[in-house]
Amino acid sequence: MGTSADAVTLTDVRKTYHVGEPVHALDGVSLSIEQGSHTAIMGPSGSGKSTLMNLVGCLDTPTSGEVSVGGNRIAELTDRERTDVRGRDVGFVFQTFNLMPRLTALENVALPQLFQGADREERYDRARDLLERVGLADRAAHLPRELSGGQRQRVALARALVNDPAIVLADEPTGNLDTDTEAEVLDLFETFHDAGTTLIVVTHERHVAERAERIVHLLDGEIEWIEELDDVDGDGHRDADGGDGEEATAALEGESDEQVGEPDDRQPEGR
Amino acid sequence: MKLRQSFRLSWRSIRGHRLRSALTTLGVIIGVAAVIAFVALGASLQAGIIGDISPDDQRNLYGWAADPDTEGGPLAGAQFVFTQDDMDDVAELTEVEAAYGYATIDAQSVTYGGETSLQGEGLIAAGPSYIRESSIDEGSQFEMGEREAVINPAAAGQFEENVSVGEDLEIQLATGGTETVTVVGITDASEGLSPFEGFESAPRIYVPTDPFYADQAVGPAAGDGDGDDEATSVRFLAIVVESPTADEDDVDAARAAAIAYLESDEADASEFLGEDLAITLQTSTELLQQLEDILDLLQNFIVGIAAISLVVGSIGIANIMLVSVTERTREIGIMKAVGAQNRDVLGLFLTEAIILGVIGAILGTILGLVAAALGAWYIDLPLVYPLEYVALAIAVGILVGVVSGLYPAWQAAKTDPIDALRYE
Repeated sequence: MGTSADAVTLTDVRKTYHVGEPVHALDGVSLSIEQGSHTAIMGPSGSGKSTLMNLVGCLDTPTSGEVSVGGNRIAELTDRERTDVRGRDVGFVFQTFNLMPRLTALENVALPQLFQGADREERYDRARDLLERVGLADRAAHLPRELSGGQRQRVALARALVNDPAIVLADEPTGNLDTDTEAEVLDLFETFHDAGTTLIVVTHERHVAERAERIVHLLDGEIEWIEELDDVDGDGHRDADGGDGEEATAALEGESDEQVGEPDDRQPEGR
Repeated sequence: MKLRQSFRLSWRSIRGHRLRSALTTLGVIIGVAAVIAFVALGASLQAGIIGDISPDDQRNLYGWAADPDTEGGPLAGAQFVFTQDDMDDVAELTEVEAAYGYATIDAQSVTYGGETSLQGEGLIAAGPSYIRESSIDEGSQFEMGEREAVINPAAAGQFEENVSVGEDLEIQLATGGTETVTVVGITDASEGLSPFEGFESAPRIYVPTDPFYADQAVGPAAGDGDGDDEATSVRFLAIVVESPTADEDDVDAARAAAIAYLESDEADASEFLGEDLAITLQTSTELLQQLEDILDLLQNFIVGIAAISLVVGSIGIANIMLVSVTERTREIGIMKAVGAQNRDVLGLFLTEAIILGVIGAILGTILGLVAAALGAWYIDLPLVYPLEYVALAIAVGILVGVVSGLYPAWQAAKTDPIDALRYE
């Protein structure tokens, strides 16, 4: 069902854990995420958000169904190939930043390329470039503990982008940040999205989710509805003054998952 | 991931826990140092002994008669059985270059130029050729039947004025008498000349067995009172038989001929020989072989104990690596999330363990060599430290690292990234 322009497609994906009795973490989920799109995933705890993240992030394989990331069907891959896809096509941003504590900001950003076999000079050039783009060029030599929460998350974002991945997966990226810093970081996400990065943001905060083009609502392992949000100025560039005060442009009428995979009217940009 | 990068990352985490890494390495340092020190000391000891055997000495056979069951070094269980006649007859054999008795004569002190020096070691009585021409620096060998002596530099230099050839020494014997000897030669070194003496440096005075031993020998077997003149009725405890060359065949021929004669009825010694008393004739090398065997055994034993501490050191590394893997579960998760393969993670932790092992081995080698050098200096031996030891120690360090790091690294590699990222 996915098209070539899809960064990620999920087709009738099920994930079942056996803890005593079988638990269906995901129960028949189908979803297409177009390249260059910005998708938010919302849902209460236990709705399957994390499982979905793990599958899209190539950390896990589905019990049944098909997950395709950057054109790779991950269920058919060996562990090593899956790790390759993860390193190349997926960038992670975590709630708790997850930077390597003994590496400097620059080294943290350069880390993913290390496992791709890039040489030192190339890695550091690229990492320096990205640190500059997240506004932390002057913090390159600092260790994570010497950085503020917002700065750490910007380093993490730079690291997620360093291999030029097909998608950036952000799991509650602003969960540990105060309101001002949160806005800063989200603006930065949008800047990169505008430049063509495919973003998938898992959050339980409405105002974070509302920055996306659509919100996928999960409940009990199924897609409850997909909420399409209108673009304020029609060019994919949402107003950055956002925060909680941002006008709810959400189409609040419930949409069922029949619409899943429907081509988005927006084209990827910045390519 | 490239080895160099792996090395850099590992080194980073080792430096992140300086104290812990240092203490972990200490186990290996002590283990390797102990092994190296004992091996180097043992090698030095052997080199010291073997180095003292002059090539000339290789053609000497040292002999005594003892119960064949007696165990021990040279002269263990030896009896006074050889007469001067026996020696003279053995010397006549075609296979034998020279043969003479060997004895030490107890002395108290030596007086020269009014100055008296203690000489507890006594005098060494032997045949003239016991001191090779080639090892005489000045003068000549003594002659049998003359009151002459050859002394070594240590003996010559122990007085305010150095003793020179032609001077007389007055020797106070342990039995009370005084002998005057004329120094006819001075040797070129102060080390002992045969395993009978021992090889350490000491003041030594060499004299002919006749007349000194013949005059002074006392003891149950020294004279059997059968009316022979004293010089021939005195029996020797130890003998030296010289083969014409150091060639092994010649040495064996000389040995066979000497033993055959001494066991024959013609020899005075034969009356005591039998099941309870057999002749031993061995070269320095053969004699030292026994000593070396004992040294080897002792050394292996000590090195074995030292090696145990190396094993303990490895366990220390394994232990700390396991702790490290648990502590860094989250970091492992991060690395895997950003694309680290299992082998990258395995390599990282293995490298860390190997670095600890190799650092321990290198520092241990240095410490061990320093300890060996101090030991060798203390007991006055040349230090022998083959360069292979260093290479071997590094190999051991790598081995220790691999052995102790493999399981923890494997644990790290198989960590599930999902669990690891959730790990607090």
